Amino acid sequence: MRFSPRVSPRAGGSGAPVGACGAASPVAASAGSDRALATLLRDLGPRLRRGSAPPEEPVARDPVGLPAVDRLLGGGVPRGRLVEIAGPPSSGRTALALGWLARLTRAGEFAAVVDPADALDPPSAAGAGVVLPRVLWVRAPGLPEALRATERLIDARGFALVLLDLDASDAEAASDAPARGTRADAARADVRDAAWLRLARAAASARTSLLLLSTHRRAGTFSDLALELRPSGARFSTAPALLEGLESRAVLVRNRLGPPGQESPWVLSA
Amino acid sequence: MSGRVACLLVPDLPLAAELRASPEARGRPLVIVSAPGARAFVVSASPEARARGARVGASCVHARAACADLHVHVASPALERAARETLLDAALCFSPRVAAAPPAAGAFAAEASVFLDASGIGTRFRSEEAFASALGARAASLGLPAVVCVAGSQEIARLAARRLALDGEAGRVLVVPPGSEARFLAPLPVDLLDPGDGLASSLTRFGIRTVGDLVRLPARALATRLGPEAPRLLARVRGEGREPPLPHHRETRCAEALDLEHPIDRLEPLGFVLRGLLSRLVDRLEARGLACGPLALELALEGGRRDARRIGVAAATNETRTLLRLVSLALEQRPPEAPVVSVSLGTRGRPGRRDQLDLFRPAGPAPAELSRTLAELEALCGEGRVGAPALRDEHRPDAFALEPFSVQAAAHGAPDAARGAPDEPREADAGAHPRPVARLGVRALRPPRPAQVTAPGGCPQWVRSRVATGRVVSRSGPWRTTGGWWSPDERHAFDHWDVETSDGALVRLRHDRISHRWEIDGIYD
Repeated sequence: MRFSPRVSPRAGGSGAPVGACGAASPVAASAGSDRALATLLRDLGPRLRRGSAPPEEPVARDPVGLPAVDRLLGGGVPRGRLVEIAGPPSSGRTALALGWLARLTRAGEFAAVVDPADALDPPSAAGAGVVLPRVLWVRAPGLPEALRATERLIDARGFALVLLDLDASDAEAASDAPARGTRADAARADVRDAAWLRLARAAASARTSLLLLSTHRRAGTFSDLALELRPSGARFSTAPALLEGLESRAVLVRNRLGPPGQESPWVLSA
Repeated sequence: MSGRVACLLVPDLPLAAELRASPEARGRPLVIVSAPGARAFVVSASPEARARGARVGASCVHARAACADLHVHVASPALERAARETLLDAALCFSPRVAAAPPAAGAFAAEASVFLDASGIGTRFRSEEAFASALGARAASLGLPAVVCVAGSQEIARLAARRLALDGEAGRVLVVPPGSEARFLAPLPVDLLDPGDGLASSLTRFGIRTVGDLVRLPARALATRLGPEAPRLLARVRGEGREPPLPHHRETRCAEALDLEHPIDRLEPLGFVLRGLLSRLVDRLEARGLACGPLALELALEGGRRDARRIGVAAATNETRTLLRLVSLALEQRPPEAPVVSVSLGTRGRPGRRDQLDLFRPAGPAPAELSRTLAELEALCGEGRVGAPALRDEHRPDAFALEPFSVQAAAHGAPDAARGAPDEPREADAGAHPRPVARLGVRALRPPRPAQVTAPGGCPQWVRSRVATGRVVSRSGPWRTTGGWWSPDERHAFDHWDVETSDGALVRLRHDRISHRWEIDGIYD
């Protein structure tokens, strides 16, 4: 915290400094403080220094491998943070996650995929460039097991990325959602906030990035960075009819390390 | 110095084995009886029990009468077998040339001893006494207090160990220097040679009480008067007998077992038994620098039935808590069908993970920590659900394998940027429509979700399912996959379609040409 010898003239509303006694004017109080500071500096001499905020450590960033998204994120995803990618099915969440996995594993890093949905498609991952032997795939049978496995993997240290895929049942979740409240509320209700806080702290301590993949944001304020993907539609060629790709927009809805609210269009090829 | 042999000897194995399994009984009056029931006789007694009047050979009733607060345990052959193997493990920590001594008889029937090659041991220890002390300490750390003697031959080492054990203090060591064997043996009582009842009484009648008395007699005359056993005894103490060379011991299998005094019919108390077995098993493996691999659990059930099962361990580990969880999960999934009367737990020890760090690559998880993590994850998620994904060389949809995850294999065998990966993404032109920069991913649906599809002429027009519902906006296909025609289980024939529905979903639809059903097996994402 920055050391400030002056009393704010706005404190107290009517102009009187907080804690000032009697009828001393603000100007007189300010002069007294300056004199006291001067006396202190003279008495203590070089032992007294003006304080300053601790220098912030530069944040290491891992590029996800997609220039448009990397530019949006300010150079990549910060290492050791809780990152969320949310969006409806066919919005490109998996492609983004696989791109990041590919980038890391090709650089020799190790990553883990905690997959309660059992949705990882190894041929698709290999096609995206993921080095499969460097990926630990944990096919957790349920959400509690997935959360515990995630925590254990982060504690193990040495994994650059732990991907927790909570997009368990896609549109099926919608049909099973409770009647009252929003879907986001329902999604958050099944995981306590304390769990996200614990995971975020563990990730920061272990310098392991934790990527949360879901249809809706789940970690709320505990995530350091949240991307929402909004699909624009698929691309098919006309003759012959072939799937060419998918268009989507990435919106940075939460960013603790910079301004949120930016967005960028990007395209995925089939 | 050549031809040196060490003997590691536990004088009272039934008692030592019981105390190893129940360390809380140390310092208490404890006797081991031959069988359950009042008619059983005492086969072994602790010093505290002997001090209170309990005698070996007395009946259990008499022992209880002599000592009111006596603890009585029934002898467990399985426990003694495990203790013998543990003694061998302690010796294997120091030399690969190890052999269990042949079982003794008579007064020494309860002892267990192991010989190990101590030749050239001076290169590792400053003296043979230091080596013997380290060996004794290792045996004690495995729960078996023992005496250790080093001599020029197996027979002399064992005699010296017996002499030391008679003093009643475990943990002592003795070294018989080369060339002084005769001088050392001369004052020893001849009973240490375990001559057998008949020969022992004859020797006593002849006034032969020490080994020195025996050695001075001519062999031929001894044979004439005392029979053929006497010259063999003489040859043993003169060092004329041929001792088998100590073999190289390569066995890495370890097993711990316990015969239960009362059958156990619930999993919770069985868990306590298993915890003890695992703890001792892990101690033995750690002493040999090994880690626990897949476990073989064998339960003897009431009625003579047996329940044998194999419990997979994703990565060799020595974490007792993790291993216990794996075993508990296996038992919870399929509990024993009858009360358990005996438990045996074995494994084949595996070398601990070693990895050469690379200066130019990220280190990855520490091998020991990774082993623990993998074992815990498998215990948490179930067997066969943790590993590295691998592609299979076949055309069947969703064909993949889950292989053991290994940092070493991944670091040395995995391709780098040069192989099997797409080109780096290209930068989009400023102001222009963004060009393709990334590969579309697929989310697999396992099992595939059934779908109701309106497909006039085989071409899907409308889809209704829990994954995607609506009019088909765009489609491409069909892409036909067939195979496995040689096997009814593997036979498949699909027509695949890439379909975009009006609700925005882009899915992989397939028509099973055998069952004539429509399914969605993946979502493009």
